[in-house]
Amino acid sequence: MTLNLSDTEMDALEQLAQKKDLNKTVVIRQALRLYQMVDQRMREGKKLFIEDELTKDKSELMFI
Amino acid sequence: MEKSLVHLLGPARTAVEAELWDDISPEHVALWAKDWKPEIDSLRERLIQDKVPREKWPQDLHWDWSEKADATRAMLAYQRFALTCEGRLQGLMLINLVKATGRLPEQHGKHLVYVDFVSTAPWNRPDFVDKSRFVGVGSVFIRVAVELSRMEGFRGRIGLHSLLQAEKFYRTTCGMTDLGPDTGYYGLAYFEMTEAQATTFTTEPPKK
Repeated sequence: MTLNLSDTEMDALEQLAQKKDLNKTVVIRQALRLYQMVDQRMREGKKLFIEDELTKDKSELMFI
Repeated sequence: MEKSLVHLLGPARTAVEAELWDDISPEHVALWAKDWKPEIDSLRERLIQDKVPREKWPQDLHWDWSEKADATRAMLAYQRFALTCEGRLQGLMLINLVKATGRLPEQHGKHLVYVDFVSTAPWNRPDFVDKSRFVGVGSVFIRVAVELSRMEGFRGRIGLHSLLQAEKFYRTTCGMTDLGPDTGYYGLAYFEMTEAQATTFTTEPPKK
């Protein structure tokens, strides 16, 4: 299959690949794995929070 | 599902051929339920009868591989492996590819293969039997985790939380770095393997 990305999306993908020391295919794979896992957990009625390591403040990530 | 040939050390401590499967099938789960679970349940009953304190029990007695297999089937984040030899199930491993990133300074924030669960058959475990029937299940699985890490582009980096009874294996045999107890994960010791440690582990004879 062909993946069509905008310039901005391609920039983000390239930056992530460089930052994480991965090739672009692996970044996409990781994103898909994570997305599927989060979707599964939310379908089970669970919520996803981001916690500030210092302040311990939590904010819920909302997915549509 | 595919299998590949690996080796374990048999009763005479000579190499015997074993099959490594790149998934946990319903047949593997059935073997777990038929052969492992009764022995695990029996050990639990003996420990209760002998009034052995819970903190001295093997920490994985409650692991239910049937539930783990069901919960991870079709999930892309997981890779599941089974090891068989002489027609019997010798080991099971569950790997998570998105659960953790590196904590050691030289690989902080970088992706790694996280070994979520590893089990070896009761008859291979020194805490179940006086003499293990097969030796090397854990080593085979850690090699698999390292190879998977390389294939994923993670350069051999792996991480795991160890049960108390397995800490020496990961520290000494595998040469992983012990980052100490993780208060955020049941107080279990967290271990990590770097790219260099992975090279040493896969190219040099195992340390005892």
